[in-house]
Amino acid sequence: MASQNQSQTQSQSQSQSPVDTGSQRLDKDTRETLVSVARHGLLLVWSFVVLFPLYWLASMSLKPPGEANALPPDWLFLPTVYNYIQLAQDGAFLAAFANSVVMVSASVVLVLLIGVPAAYVLSRYDIPMERDVLVWILSSRMLPPIAVVIPFFVIFRELNLFDSRIGMVFMYVSINLSLVVWVMKAFFDGIPETLEEAARVDGATRFQGFRKVVLPAAKPGIFSVAIISFIFAWIELLFGLVLTNFKAVPVTLFVYSFIGSRSIEWGMLAAASMAMILPVVVFLIAVNKYLAAGLSFGVVIKE
Amino acid sequence: MSTQTQTETTTTSETGVARLRALWNDYLPYWFIAPMVLVMVLITFFPGAYDLYLSVIEEPTFNIFAAEFVGLQNYETAFGRGGALHSFVITVTVVVSALALESVLGFGLAALVAGVESERLQSFYRVLFIIPMAVAPVSLATIGRIMLNSEIGVIPYLIEATTPFAAPAFLSEIPLLTVVLLDTWNWTPFMFIIFYAGLSSVPDTLIEASRVDGAPLWRRYLHVVIPYMKPVVFVATLIRLIDLFRTFGVVYGLTQGGPGTATQLVSINIYEQMFINNSPGVAAAIAVVYLVFVVAIANIVIAKVGFEGVWD
Repeated sequence: MASQNQSQTQSQSQSQSPVDTGSQRLDKDTRETLVSVARHGLLLVWSFVVLFPLYWLASMSLKPPGEANALPPDWLFLPTVYNYIQLAQDGAFLAAFANSVVMVSASVVLVLLIGVPAAYVLSRYDIPMERDVLVWILSSRMLPPIAVVIPFFVIFRELNLFDSRIGMVFMYVSINLSLVVWVMKAFFDGIPETLEEAARVDGATRFQGFRKVVLPAAKPGIFSVAIISFIFAWIELLFGLVLTNFKAVPVTLFVYSFIGSRSIEWGMLAAASMAMILPVVVFLIAVNKYLAAGLSFGVVIKE
Repeated sequence: MSTQTQTETTTTSETGVARLRALWNDYLPYWFIAPMVLVMVLITFFPGAYDLYLSVIEEPTFNIFAAEFVGLQNYETAFGRGGALHSFVITVTVVVSALALESVLGFGLAALVAGVESERLQSFYRVLFIIPMAVAPVSLATIGRIMLNSEIGVIPYLIEATTPFAAPAFLSEIPLLTVVLLDTWNWTPFMFIIFYAGLSSVPDTLIEASRVDGAPLWRRYLHVVIPYMKPVVFVATLIRLIDLFRTFGVVYGLTQGGPGTATQLVSINIYEQMFINNSPGVAAAIAVVYLVFVVAIANIVIAKVGFEGVWD
């Protein structure tokens, strides 16, 4: 019975598709318009889903204190930068923000210095049990940070690294290293080996071949992986929560401190969140064309 | 005499530099890979071993050898009073539902955007749709707290203003679903951008061929597009799966595991055992089980789906 049905539909589709009669073309046209309308409708719905929370957060940060959570909402209001001025005068917030910028940037530089050369070696040389090595590297990302952070909490106290920027930089490196190695390995795989061989024939040393020929060719990959590493470190909360106290507090933790307090200053909370989100959004928009390549672990680049 | 010594020292230092340079170039792969191996050993073996050690002793002391061995007592406490089992169940629930939702939505959005005719409109949507990724879990928790609050939240307000239904109290009645929905908002962009990249890599000729064959849309996707994209689908799902097990910030900021233990994911549970209950042994016991559990799942996925096409 089932097979009969199947053969029937098969013969139907076979008899229909090669012959393009006029009425069918008309049907096809209306169908295509319908599909297009549905497509743009759905895309608009999702655009709204994406934008509404961000709009709400932004509007809340721009409302005067009393108006922030009025219901029904003030759809029309006179925006004020009051909350941002308050925030800019808050030394602790600025310190946390600066902390995050410094620690996250340093970790990105460091993770590239460690990860990119390693990925190059994994791509170019015969490594024993290469597949296992790569899975091992990925496994560092499988470790839930909460399980990792307890041992480091203890050891950091011993080594005087607790509440230090150096300790936090190391932790940020630890979350991004596997990502850098994987993405860059795939990238180097896509760069023909003949390039550096030619440089070697011209008298360049191995290192010169790597630095002057391979690195420039891998620039887009390095760029994208740097951005992704930056974002993953920038949004990290747990390490700051456990491993810092005062000196090395990242901005994520500071935003959290608004939530934790008994009376929540919604306007300030919204403004602080905006201050965290905006730089990354600008960053993302600026580099969006590289992002897909980096995020897909080079899989697509190889095509 | 003096000039001679000078030339001698310069030549020795020159040969020294040359020797160093030769050492650098001859063993380049080792220099290149050594720092990574060092960091990897530090961040993979050390925490696992230390967690294991903490989980079988009474109380950590500065003298490792003075610690009192208590066997599996901490594990018993963790799965008895510690509510570890409950944490595992709700963590798996959140991971599975969020992964399913994000994959389906991400693929759907990628297919929709890839079909937009105008190149500029396509890139507009691409940029717009990845923006939620820029939002840190803490900020997301902020947004959730502001918009879903039963008293001042705009979403309950809008639900009650436009529909005849009473709005649920998101944070107290359906906290787990709320967590899944917020995570979906946050991370569907990740799936979207990877699937979009994968879709753009499918050769047009392949799609044309199946279109000429008269295959319906769904069949074209099921038998042509998705098999071609398999490596991309695999990588995206694996990475998202691994990252979902790390979920902490959004839950911590939103409900701190509550109400009661309703959203006490494993990571929240471990945090509370360690820093609120002050029982590092119990925290470490849960952490050890969690480590084994997550690494096992990831390895099963890797073994089942395989890596073909992902590298070499």
